[in-house]
Formats: sequence, structure tokens, C-alpha cells
Amino acid sequence: MQPLSRWISVSALALMALNAPAQAAVPADALVGPIAEYKLYVLDNLEQLVAHTREFTQAIEQGNLDKAQTLYAPTRVYYERIEPIAEMFADLDASIDAREDDYEHGVKDPDFTGFHRLEYGLFKAQSTQGLAPYAKGLMQDVDDLDQRVQGLTFPPSTVVGGAAALMEEVAATKVSGEEDRYSRSDLWDFQANVDGAQEIFELFKPLAAEEDAGFVKRVQGNFDDVEAILADYRVDPQDPKKGFVSYDKVSDADRRALTGPVNVLAEDLSTLRGLLGLN
Amino acid sequence: MLVSFDVLARDREGLDILLRTLTTRIAFLTQGGAYPQRDPRFPPPDSGILGPRIPPDGLSVTVALGASLFDDRFGLAPARPRHLERMQGFPNDALDAARCHGDLALQICANTLDTAYHALRDIIKHTPGSLLVRWKQEGNVPLLPPSPGDIDGSARNFLGFRDGTANPSAQDPALMDELIWVDAQRDEPDWAVGGSYMAVRIIRNYVERWDRTPLGEQEAIFGREKMSGAPLSGGVEQDVPDYASDPEGKITPLDAHIRLANPRTPATEKNRILRRPFNYANGVEPNGQLDMGLLFICFQADLQEGFITVQKRLDGEPLEEYIKPVGGGYFFVLPGARDEQDYLGRGLMAATT
Repeated sequence: MQPLSRWISVSALALMALNAPAQAAVPADALVGPIAEYKLYVLDNLEQLVAHTREFTQAIEQGNLDKAQTLYAPTRVYYERIEPIAEMFADLDASIDAREDDYEHGVKDPDFTGFHRLEYGLFKAQSTQGLAPYAKGLMQDVDDLDQRVQGLTFPPSTVVGGAAALMEEVAATKVSGEEDRYSRSDLWDFQANVDGAQEIFELFKPLAAEEDAGFVKRVQGNFDDVEAILADYRVDPQDPKKGFVSYDKVSDADRRALTGPVNVLAEDLSTLRGLLGLN
Repeated sequence: MLVSFDVLARDREGLDILLRTLTTRIAFLTQGGAYPQRDPRFPPPDSGILGPRIPPDGLSVTVALGASLFDDRFGLAPARPRHLERMQGFPNDALDAARCHGDLALQICANTLDTAYHALRDIIKHTPGSLLVRWKQEGNVPLLPPSPGDIDGSARNFLGFRDGTANPSAQDPALMDELIWVDAQRDEPDWAVGGSYMAVRIIRNYVERWDRTPLGEQEAIFGREKMSGAPLSGGVEQDVPDYASDPEGKITPLDAHIRLANPRTPATEKNRILRRPFNYANGVEPNGQLDMGLLFICFQADLQEGFITVQKRLDGEPLEEYIKPVGGGYFFVLPGARDEQDYLGRGLMAATT
């Protein structure tokens, strides 16, 4: 199959699925392994998040603007990858990752804290002045998140549904470039959301393939398409750590080219829970 | 409702699938029916906003293409309709880029707005990789119950005047062939026969200021009586205004809207257009004034002879003080699908292989 027809023909395929008989639930014990592996993935990312946040917030407290600016995007990556789990704690998600649009009074709102409050200071005001309390708060919140997730039982439907949730994030706030409007590091978050979705997809792929091999092939192809476009915007293709160019540099044509496969992924992955018979 | 899209399909194959999908969805939606059932652990196949059975509800969907679709992406350039161009701002325009142009436009009309929303959401769900909404503008035609002392005439726009009075009759096929449909006599690509040009304009009305304008001045600006819709030269709404015996514009000012738009001379007969005006209300401007106006849509066989010529005649009219075009675009309406095997745009695709 040509890459394009796979990408476009989702609606025809989706319609065929409409007439499918009720989906048999995948046996619960078949989910145990992938869920456990996913928890390891989340805990590993959390460990990284804690370490990177410590370095990032210390740079702010030390008044080191350059260093803080450099660490902003690579620190967030670990949060963006595990959002399906992190968002289970609505209070922390708000204080860690809310954007100014979430508040009536915008950047002046006293409840506006976390990464994006620091982003505003570091990249808009270009200063670490007055940011120390926010840095301290972020570190506490991230430690708190780490604690809470350690003892958490991961609900299968949240984990499996997380792949679609991450693509919805991308479709809603990353393609439009509103997530990191001051640092313009949107592509870092974009990649991290895609990484997180792919991780879930990979873990459940064998089970999904038993139900619908065409679905798996199509989703894999669309992930490949997104990865290929994102790769064009890496600072150094040989060194992923160097990250991405500013989102301002992404052409309108490429923003549109990203939107297509992202929306198809959101549409396709929205059926993953159903495919595995999860309620 | 008018919805403009960017086409995301990356090559001809993708565009072809999009056109076929649009045809299939429109065929289903305009006829109505039930969606197939699906295991409840999957997302439902339908938004459900119209209930279990979709009524046709007078739904029609008009598919039209913008000039930008004829760029180098799909190899359509050689088959571009001759007059299809990117809309240029007129002197009184204040175009908002976020509400202009587009690769593909859908005019979605139904008896109720919910039916139009349902159709739009169905189409979006079936075209995730190939269409992206660029802008949309709802509008409606007011249903005014007949009231004592008010004659049953054309619907009123948000300036309170009857709109569409002088429209060429859609019940007259010969006239429609002459003015609205592209036929073989026009110098257009063969595939375009049976299509039409669609001009769309989002025209903001400054209603507060209008409501503070003397009635006599309002009527002079339009050239009609406000309540009856009759031309200032007398008679009833449908009567043809008499300009011949008023060459100096003492009764109907020479710069009255209807006199400029349609001077009723033999030379200007070919400039007549089929208007479909809809009223819109979007919200409130930062200054506290209402953002409302006219979603103006018109059809013609020749965009230059039609809308563009008429609008040029209107440039500088006194009405401009009360209106501000802010968006829209030019599109070419695809000829209809002829049978079950046909699909919208097939002729264009075949003409460019």
C-alpha cells in the first residue's frame, strides 16, 4: 500500500469497522504485562523529570538566565511524555503545566504558576527576577507528583486511552504553536507527546494486531510520517539531545503537513480502547 | 453556513479520495437515514446531535474550489476556471486574513442550524487527514411570520431592509443558464460546464450607527422604502424601479445602492448575479458594538461580469459608511454528480491526468 492511501483512507476503513460484531474483550491477564511495562516507562521518565527539574529550578534560583533558558525545553519533555498519567492529578497538572489562557487574568493571575509562568519570565521578560518562588513551587509539585505516581495502580483504560489523549494534545495545542509561545520550543513538546503515544501503541501493538492488523499498519505508518517531518526540524539529526529549531521556523506548509497525520492518528487511536475491548 | 478549508491531501491520489469521500458523505447526509450500530466501547460513528435517525431537513451541500487548489500541489493548474482568482480587497474592505480564501469551501444549508452542524461534523470526522477547517461563518434567513400591516416579501437583512428582491428567478431555467451556470459557450475548460462561480463576502454592519441614522437617509442610501421594500419610484416591492424618468436622481439618488448595483439598462443585464444573503451575528467587538452583518454569497457564470463588476460599481457608495467587508473569497462550484458512479470533481481529475 502506498503511504498516502494509508494516510487518507481512514474513513473508508473506519466505515467498514462499523459493521464489525461486538468486540471480544482481550483477556485481562494479557494486559498485565504491557501495563507493568508502561509503569516502568512512566517511572523512568519521572525520575528524569525530577532530576532535570532540579537542575532547571536551581539555575533560576541562582539567577543563571542562559542556563535556565537552555534547560526549559529539555526538562518539559519528561512531563509531556507521561501526560496521560500526570493529568490524573488535576491539581498538580494545573500548577505544573497550565497556560496563561487557563486563567481569567492571564499572566497576572496569582494562580498562574509552573513551567509556563517560568517560560513567561525567562523568555518574555528575559529575566530570572522574581521567579525563585515559582521555581521552588515547581520543584515541590514535581516531587509530589513523583510520590503520588509511585503508589498508583495504573487503570488499563487510562493507559490505553492515553495514546489518543496525547495525540489530542498535539492536535489541540501543539500544531497551532500556542503551547510554548514565548520559548517557541513547541516541537520539543510535540515530539514528547508523540513519543508517549508511540510507547503506548508499541506496548499494545501485538494485542491490537490480533484484532486488526490493518489498523496497526496504518497507525505505524502515520507515526512514521509525523516522525519524518519532525526529523527535518532537528537542530542536529545525529544528536537528538540538541532538540529542535524554533517553531517560528516551521513553514505553514509543514504545519499543514503535520496536521493531516496527527488528526488521522487522533481518529485512529480513539478506537484503540474499543479494539482491545476495554470499557 | 459557509465553511472554508485547507486541503491537507498531499497528492492527486489523496485529493481524489477526498472528493469521493465528500460525495459519499453528502449523498448520505442529504438523503438522511440511520448510521450503522457500533460496539459501545468504540467512539460512536455519529455525533448523535440529531438523534438516532438523520432527517434530510432540507440539507444541501455545495462544494466549491478556491484558486489556491490550482497551485502546483495537484497538477490542476492547466484546468483552472478562467476567472477563478484570489479575492483582492476592494477600497472599503478591511480583510481579516483569518477569514479569507481557502482551497475548498462548503456552503451547507438546511432548515435548522443543527442539521448544518451535524453535516459539518460528519464531514470533518470522515476527512481527518485531508481537510482542515480554515474559517467558517454561520448565517440565517429570518423567518418572519406575516403580521398585520406588513406585506409578505423578501427577508430582511440586519439593516432592516428587504434583501434579494431583484434576484433573477431560480424558477426560470433559461435565465439561470444565461446568468448562473457555466455552459459550453463560455470560454471555460470542458469539465467546468455545469459549474458556477461563488463569491463569498462577510460584510460587517455597523448597526448601532445605522440605528442612529434618519429613516429618510437610510431609504435614500438603499433606494427603497424600508418597510414595504418598494422602490422609491413607487409601487410595490417586486416592481421594477423607474430610473428612466429620473435621470438626475431626484427620486432615487444616482448613488443609491440598488441603482448602482443594478442600473436596469440593457448593457448591465449580463452583470446580474444570484444572491443568497444570510444574516450573521458573531458576538461583541471590544468597543461594545455588536459584530453582526451579512454573509453575502452570490453565484454567476462569469465572476468578472458578475460580482466583480457589480462591486466595482458599488465602490464609494454612501452605504459604505455603515458596512465593512472583512472576509470571504472566490470559489468555483463543482458541477453536480450525475449518477451513483459519478463523484464531485471527477471531471476535473480526469481533465488533468
